[in-house]
Amino acid sequence: MGQPTLITGETRHTVAELEELAFELRSKLLHLCGTYEGAVHIGGDLSVADILTVLYQYGMNVDPTDIANPARDRFVLSKGHAAVCMYIAMAMRGFFSYEGIVDTYGQLDSAYGMHPCKVQLPGVECSTGSLGHGLPIAVGMALSARGRGDTHRVFCVLGDGETGEGSVWEAAMAARSNELGNIVAFVDRNRQLMTSFAEERVAFEPYPDKWAAFGWNVVMVDGHDMGQLVAAVDALPASDSKRPTVIICETIKGKGVDFMEKNLAWHAGRLGAADLEKAMTALKSTRKKATV
Amino acid sequence: MAETFTFGEMLSARSVIGTTLAELGETHDNLWVLTPDIGATLVEFRDKYPERFVDVGLAEQVCVGIASGLAYDGNIPVVSGMLPFLSMRALEQIRSDVCYPNLPVKIIGTHGGLVGNGGSTHYAVEDLALMCALTNMTVTSIGDPLMVGEVLRQSMAMPGPLYIRLAVGKSDKVLYEPGQHDIRIGKGIVARQGTDATIFTHGTVVAQALEAAEELAVEGFNVRVIDMFTLKPIDADLVAQCAEETGGRFVIVEDHLAYGGLASRVADVVADRGLHLTAFERLGIPQVFAGFGEDEQLRDKHGYGLAATIAATRRVIAAKP
Repeated sequence: MGQPTLITGETRHTVAELEELAFELRSKLLHLCGTYEGAVHIGGDLSVADILTVLYQYGMNVDPTDIANPARDRFVLSKGHAAVCMYIAMAMRGFFSYEGIVDTYGQLDSAYGMHPCKVQLPGVECSTGSLGHGLPIAVGMALSARGRGDTHRVFCVLGDGETGEGSVWEAAMAARSNELGNIVAFVDRNRQLMTSFAEERVAFEPYPDKWAAFGWNVVMVDGHDMGQLVAAVDALPASDSKRPTVIICETIKGKGVDFMEKNLAWHAGRLGAADLEKAMTALKSTRKKATV
Repeated sequence: MAETFTFGEMLSARSVIGTTLAELGETHDNLWVLTPDIGATLVEFRDKYPERFVDVGLAEQVCVGIASGLAYDGNIPVVSGMLPFLSMRALEQIRSDVCYPNLPVKIIGTHGGLVGNGGSTHYAVEDLALMCALTNMTVTSIGDPLMVGEVLRQSMAMPGPLYIRLAVGKSDKVLYEPGQHDIRIGKGIVARQGTDATIFTHGTVVAQALEAAEELAVEGFNVRVIDMFTLKPIDADLVAQCAEETGGRFVIVEDHLAYGGLASRVADVVADRGLHLTAFERLGIPQVFAGFGEDEQLRDKHGYGLAATIAATRRVIAAKP
């Protein structure tokens, strides 16, 4: 069995290319949201889109043609309600066909549901959905890697809202106690819960200090600045180091669609055909440069 | 290492767990042992395989979450702790992170029932109802200390999750002579043959049911005792066979809520199969917070001790068809 294909060297994407890929991911998300009959967690999908792009297109050593390769990096989507964003990011990396997702999402017997299920959708590493569950599982995967002397990393993406769950902090302590420098957590810090702005309900601040106090290596980035995300990935400590890393990504819920941004009404929702056009127009206006 | 023991003597189930896990750790290099600060039993494994032993401290949720992550990666994790906390504090992790992906995580623990005199925070009285409700979960409750080792050994080949319930596990009666019984997960054990009535039971009160049957034998009654140590999947064929062979006279005795545990599992079989019963009595914990006291005192106080078992069995034997 060979090593999984890390996108490296000449094949590795530039920041500009990653920005284009993130635009494509958002476009596909909006298309799905505009055609699917039910509600999509579009706000949190749009806030995490750049993070998932940098992970699947730049940071993670994965191989869509060899999903069980033991040397692959593991990925746990702790904010499982962003499943559709992960499915599409994975499709763009070659795991699935985007058409297969759009054509069946949320339908009876589809493998593509609101929250990811590894049993129904091989390629997904972990079944999630209930918040606060992903990081403990990631700790288990990281311990397993250490036990075998493997050097791959375990990446886990959390929403900031779900870090209100106590189990996240149990896992934060366990990761540090077991010196798991092979864990990298990304917090999609969009500062919104489902029904409120986060800080109105929960005193998360001083947020980075909380992670630092738990012994983690804390990195702060603008979660929509591809250059900063790439730099954070490039600067990750070696996987055999002893301190787990959290990359706190300052994000905007609904990012890229002006009428959704920081709007509590767009935690989850459905776009009709008219709103889809409006959303696409808004998204296109955010592009930094025209594509060919 | 084989256990040496004598039938009828007292043996610590916990020591059997410790010895068995250390033995299995040698044959299974993917066996991990995890605990939320209940590690005294596990010293042998910890000393032999420190790299596969994780004590998370007081944190049941992450303990089960870590077990899930280990199992996703091809390992066999055994989580050992106190059941009132594992079965409830970590219930959602067991359900969503272990049962949903059907991972081979074993949950093994003590303090099932009104045992240990810790008060109601420390008695797991509803755990079997909770565990039996979970898809993919196999649920066992074990009285004979040596059986714990056998069940653990068998569980190494199981693809999905397993729950193993013990009482205090410090001193338990060896109920079965070696080789006398075919111990298989999913099959009830005929602990005592008889034709006048059947007592179905599990866990720590199997010994009490056998004692009741012996006392009734003095009165000339021939009572069957079934150690239904696997509650899920229930051995429905054995329930039907007992209905047929013991006049449809059933007593269920368990150190668990009287509604939701084995009595309910047996009643489901009776209803689903349309079995004809002459009498059905369930002895177990009523819906009260049980208070303090020694194990036997609490069983007597709450109506499922030895005297109550004998009385109930007499009643079902006397019932008119």
